[in-house]
Amino acid sequence: MTLAAQTVTPAEPEEARSIVIERLIGAPRELVFEAFTTAAHLANWWGPTGFSITTSAFDFRPGGVWRFVMHGPDGRDYQNRQVFDVIEPPARIICHFGSGDDVESASHETRIALEAEGEKTRLTWRVVFVSIAERDRVAREYGAEEGGRQTVGRLADYVASRG
Amino acid sequence: MDHLSDTLSALADPTRRAILARLARGETTVGELAKPFAMSGPAVTKHLNVLEKAGLIRRGRDAQRRPCRLEADRLKEAAEYLATFRQFWEGSLDRLEDYLQQLQKKD
Repeated sequence: MTLAAQTVTPAEPEEARSIVIERLIGAPRELVFEAFTTAAHLANWWGPTGFSITTSAFDFRPGGVWRFVMHGPDGRDYQNRQVFDVIEPPARIICHFGSGDDVESASHETRIALEAEGEKTRLTWRVVFVSIAERDRVAREYGAEEGGRQTVGRLADYVASRG
Repeated sequence: MDHLSDTLSALADPTRRAILARLARGETTVGELAKPFAMSGPAVTKHLNVLEKAGLIRRGRDAQRRPCRLEADRLKEAAEYLATFRQFWEGSLDRLEDYLQQLQKKD
């Protein structure tokens, strides 16, 4: 059972608990997929500029765990544990996030979908939180770090993507 | 819940976002707001109560008309917050794109 299936509550429809980002990436789908498949690849790009990661375990198969510490630009460390739920090369990866220890504390599920568009790849990055409250908590913890304040104009994008 | 959480929860509903979009064009009455939604007056009022509690709108005192007005400051605050949040994953994808460019140059 996926995380989302366990946690749907009528009061909070999935769209309200999600953040969706879509991008057309200038690389073939197989290569984009490959960038997710090893700790060495992921160390090159996971997290915004200023963040780095140190991986202690990486098992890229359904049920496998990726355990890593994310180092923030301010020196703060964040324990991360991603569990892979679905791996379908080169189209789909679904994983869910738990805290650093082995206690199951599901927070959000990440669904990555890759579609070929000629030589390019349409990537859809969907993060579904267990609740709006959890989304807000994570936003406080991680979002505040980045500090990249945007203009009010982006509300339009955000609202349109969920509407 | 603090007021930002109230605001974000209020924004999570498509009908309420449509109401805000209408109010962005100017103040209007509950009756006018209800028209495009195939919804009863009380149902719309329920949404308006959520929006008012979240500080996203203000309603006039005129008991007959109760005109609704958008409170732009609170909306702006929520927009900035959400943008910061998205920024985290957007930032990762920026780096992924750069990395893929490097990989392709090597080939």
